[in-house]
Amino acid sequence: MTMESIISIKGLRKSYGTKEVLKGINIEVNRGEVIGYIGANGAGKSTTVKIMLGLVTDFEGEINILGQDIRSGDISYKSKIGYVPETAEIYENLTAKEYLTFIGELYGMDYTQVDEKAMKLMDLFGIGDVYNSRISSFSKGMKQKTLIISALINDPDILFLDEPLTGIDANSVMVFKEVLERLAKEGKTIFYSSHIMEVVEKLSSRIILLNDGQIVADGNIDELKNTSMASSLENIFNQLTGFNDHEDIAEKIVAVIKGVE
Amino acid sequence: MKDYSILRSLDLFKGLFTKMDIDYPAMRKILQVKLTLDSRRVSTVMQNNTNQKDKDKDKNNFLKSLTIYFIMGLVMVALVLFGNNYFYQMTLVFGMFMFFMMTTLISDYSSVLLDLRDKEILLSKPINSRTLNMAKVLHIIIYTSMITMAMIGPSLIVGGIENGILFFLIYLIEIILLNLFLIVLTGLMYLLILRFFDGEKLRDIINYVQIILTITISVGYQLIGRVFDIVDLESIVLIDKWWSFILPPIWFAAPFEFFINNNQSTSVIIYSLMAVIVPIASIMVYIKTMPIFESNLQKLSGVGGKAKNNEKLSNKVGNIICRTKEERTFYRFTTNMIRNEREFKLRVYPSLGFSIAFPLIMLFNSARGSTLAQVINTKAYFNIYFAAFFLPGVLQFIGNSGNYKGAWIYEVMPIKNYEPIFKGAIKSVFINLFAPIILVVSIIFLIIFKFTIIDQLIVVYFNLILGTFIVFKLFKKDLPFSRAFETIEKRNGFLEILLSTAGIGLLILLHYFSMRIKYGLYIYLVLQLILIGISLKYLFKVQPEA
Repeated sequence: MTMESIISIKGLRKSYGTKEVLKGINIEVNRGEVIGYIGANGAGKSTTVKIMLGLVTDFEGEINILGQDIRSGDISYKSKIGYVPETAEIYENLTAKEYLTFIGELYGMDYTQVDEKAMKLMDLFGIGDVYNSRISSFSKGMKQKTLIISALINDPDILFLDEPLTGIDANSVMVFKEVLERLAKEGKTIFYSSHIMEVVEKLSSRIILLNDGQIVADGNIDELKNTSMASSLENIFNQLTGFNDHEDIAEKIVAVIKGVE
Repeated sequence: MKDYSILRSLDLFKGLFTKMDIDYPAMRKILQVKLTLDSRRVSTVMQNNTNQKDKDKDKNNFLKSLTIYFIMGLVMVALVLFGNNYFYQMTLVFGMFMFFMMTTLISDYSSVLLDLRDKEILLSKPINSRTLNMAKVLHIIIYTSMITMAMIGPSLIVGGIENGILFFLIYLIEIILLNLFLIVLTGLMYLLILRFFDGEKLRDIINYVQIILTITISVGYQLIGRVFDIVDLESIVLIDKWWSFILPPIWFAAPFEFFINNNQSTSVIIYSLMAVIVPIASIMVYIKTMPIFESNLQKLSGVGGKAKNNEKLSNKVGNIICRTKEERTFYRFTTNMIRNEREFKLRVYPSLGFSIAFPLIMLFNSARGSTLAQVINTKAYFNIYFAAFFLPGVLQFIGNSGNYKGAWIYEVMPIKNYEPIFKGAIKSVFINLFAPIILVVSIIFLIIFKFTIIDQLIVVYFNLILGTFIVFKLFKKDLPFSRAFETIEKRNGFLEILLSTAGIGLLILLHYFSMRIKYGLYIYLVLQLILIGISLKYLFKVQPEA
């Protein structure tokens, strides 16, 4: 199998004011890889994704997506991308049908084609009956499913998923994980950010761990386990982010709960 | 989604947009979505007239709100036709227009300028930022033109027929310039606020502007007819006052003076020039500062700085007037909710505003034509009941909240006794909402009546307490902040409102007639205290009603 570079990040730096959030990131992603992109809160994960999507434009370094420099002004690469944002932003006063057809059309799809596709996907995700209802009336899980559908509707080559499983029930999670695995086999590239280590460990073919704006680990799960001598991704995460006083803190918390000094 | 006719007329300029390197189909789609979202939103001027029934229908709330602007437009017709003192008349017209357009832009269209979702949802799609920005600009232009047409259209047409074609043309051109100026001014104002404060502060400021708009519209309805009695149109001179230079309505009125009345004095020329130059200059400044705006916009999503935790006077008062620990808990809870919830403020503060305004308006109204010394000897202080009469109704809002779903805590908590909840909440309403209003109005009345009416005011205040108890007794008893605002009309019927009004009316009558008897007022005062004491003991031993 030939390695085809889908995403190439070189020397990426980004500051907000005086605070440097990304301190020189280098990543090469190949077709079909499922990247588990993890890190503590504020490590710079979302910023990286936002830069790749062109939502944040002032940065240092070079980024090529699908062979295209994202700063060239040509934004056609975005039509090959699907995105589930962590903040779950959505126009809630639209119905699912209105929202999904709108997004599809922005991707350049034909109205009737999106409509049909969206309805089928809603059905398969078990929320077909609310296709014509306003999103504001949806539960958390239903909203999240709608977002996921909006990210998949254009059959993207690259998927950026930021905590995509929030609020989704276990059965649907199983379906969605299976879908991701199949999409990866089809040659789609997936960039998966989450705090739930078990899911990341199971899904990802490669894990990139970000700490304080720098990559501190990059490899598949077995490699990481071998080098760090840890049994699970959770432990690796704790080790590499330098967090090892969880027992101590837990003890203090329990003490405060019980009201003893 | 509807295909709006405005979009179809926009199609005529398709070629022009394509030339500007704008993705026309995408821009059209975005505008269509934005217009649909607008039609489903409730604007501030309509705040009090909507109910749950309409919520699910795809009715155009925006179009309904236009009728309110149209009514204002009719007032402007009267202003335009009033005489030939264009300078003064048009200053009034432009002043009125500026006020409403500016407050509307801030209260309802802040969401367009400040929408962070746009970036996240739309820019991650293959859409260039030029297309998105053009969609945003067109959106605001469509919106302002519709409001402008409703508000200015009548006076433009009638004024054109009566005052000639020159009047029509000046008016038309100026209103376009003024609109651009206002849009830019709003944008620059946000820029300035965001430069120094965080998003929370900005949202607070928007909230207060919404409240001011609501109060002005409602009070305006009561006053509009009297404006012409109060102001003597001919005797007012605006020209050549130093402060005229900082009032935009005056600049925009000047060209009428220049072209139609042939007044070519230096100040008229300067004003006229400012009406043209300032809008254009501000647009240029805006384009230059746009990038700074975009980066400051990020502050909106950020968490605000650490808020200070200051123990307020109201909490100290609460500790004194609440007997039990549970009562204090719900006093504090209610106080915090009242202070922080923007939707609650938007619904309640306007009524509080009227309660300050109406007693004073009515007092001055009834006192017109008599001297201050004469007023002191009348019972004109009874006008203070215009506050005490409306305030008890505010109590019904306390059961509602925009975040009513948080009320699950009541079911989960081990609450056996609901008395401290109701008592704590009602005491908080008294201290935090009623007391400041009554205090302000009372001080003004005391000054006017030279401190002769202290005993009367105490009776008024006790009557307010009793009135609020009546409202509590008659209206459905809801736990604080446990229902959606939309349910408020359904909760209490005509009968309850009628009975509570009659009850409060009776209290006022008792006050009035008690003064006919010697020491009657003090007898009534004692009676009030007894009634309050009994109520506090028994009235609140109730369960919340479904």
